[in-house]
Amino acid sequence: MEEKPFKVSVKPPERRSSGQASPHDIRNLWTTATLSQSQLNLPLAELCESFEEEGGAVRHAAAAWHSPESRWELGEQGAALADGASVESGALDAELRRESSLESCLEEGDDESKTTTESSLVSVLRVSKHTPHRAYWTEQQNRLPLPLMGLMENEALEILTKALHSYRREIGRGHFLTKELRRYIEGLKRRRGKRFQVSAN
Amino acid sequence: MKLRQGSFLWYLYLDKIYCLLSVRNVKALVEYFHLLDAHHNNTLNDVLFYHFLKHVTNLRGTQIKIVFDMLDWNAVGEIGFDQFYVLVCILLSHQNHLEEQFMYRHSRPVFDLLDLDGELRIAASNFHTYRFLFNIKKQELKELFHDFDITGDRRLNYKEFKLYTIFSIDKSQERQKAEREKENEKQKEREKEKGKEKWKSLLLRRMSRKVGVSPESHLEKMRIEI
Repeated sequence: MEEKPFKVSVKPPERRSSGQASPHDIRNLWTTATLSQSQLNLPLAELCESFEEEGGAVRHAAAAWHSPESRWELGEQGAALADGASVESGALDAELRRESSLESCLEEGDDESKTTTESSLVSVLRVSKHTPHRAYWTEQQNRLPLPLMGLMENEALEILTKALHSYRREIGRGHFLTKELRRYIEGLKRRRGKRFQVSAN
Repeated sequence: MKLRQGSFLWYLYLDKIYCLLSVRNVKALVEYFHLLDAHHNNTLNDVLFYHFLKHVTNLRGTQIKIVFDMLDWNAVGEIGFDQFYVLVCILLSHQNHLEEQFMYRHSRPVFDLLDLDGELRIAASNFHTYRFLFNIKKQELKELFHDFDITGDRRLNYKEFKLYTIFSIDKSQERQKAEREKENEKQKEREKEKGKEKWKSLLLRRMSRKVGVSPESHLEKMRIEI
């Protein structure tokens, strides 16, 4: 019953083909944000093999996965994950289990295992410096580009500031909604300020 | 109705065939919605919604209130993300001149939005109130009801509305085709003129090389040769 695909005109929308986009246009960053990262994708099997014997880099992966932002992103992207990502999460679970077994070995206080694990940690650190970590790049791919986040936050701040003036005018400064909005705006400004500092450094 | 250039929505785009946002765009929109959700209710109240639309579009205050009433289909006084998403799609379809395509692809949700009274029929007055969202002119609306009100009750039921969307998309495709043909013809004419000018300049160069030959006789010669 439903619609057949129509032949839509090939001409792209004007505002995207207007030729006004400069090299610093946010849209270029938005659409090309992951192009550089896609070149660094290593086969998962290769990565897992290097981590099987040594478990040190797993701590780094675990820390990245358990940060609050990555948890949110994991929740949001649930429906949109490709098959590869589910394989990645399975591989990471295996790595985490290996990490816990490694920690238990360390706790036993076996000298031999200590020295072998220390040397393996060092070698893993050397490897991890040069080998892009799959979990890290997956997280980076799932994040929104920073310029876009900046644009969104700036716009939201402008809108919310105007809304705050309306609140004050209509329901007064003392109303709990006005106070809540004011606190929220201040929090947003602080977050934006921190991000500017980090990017400046 | 226009989107503000450089606003966040201005950077989003609809799929041209299905008139929906991509997953990446939706993800960004979710984040944007959460930024605006200052009270952490997963909703926007009327004040926040008003200032949002005022900031990103050139809609008047009355129009914004009308849009809010249309989207607040549960009459809770707040807009959730679902309604926000529909609104963004409508705004983007308007911006990209995809209104007919959008109404065709999403005829049911659009019909439900316009059916304010829940009578499964759209009255002319309701359609008139919201025609600015879909770029429908007054005259077009009159013709719409004249041509597609088959039952004659001065209202459109869903089938009549669907029929209208099919005809309007056919019409817009024909219009696009005619525009493309016009442009092609103009292009051909321009190329012809360019060709003529080239020919003339060649001629002048030849004439300047030959001394004692009148331009008219030279032109005659060239024409004969061709």
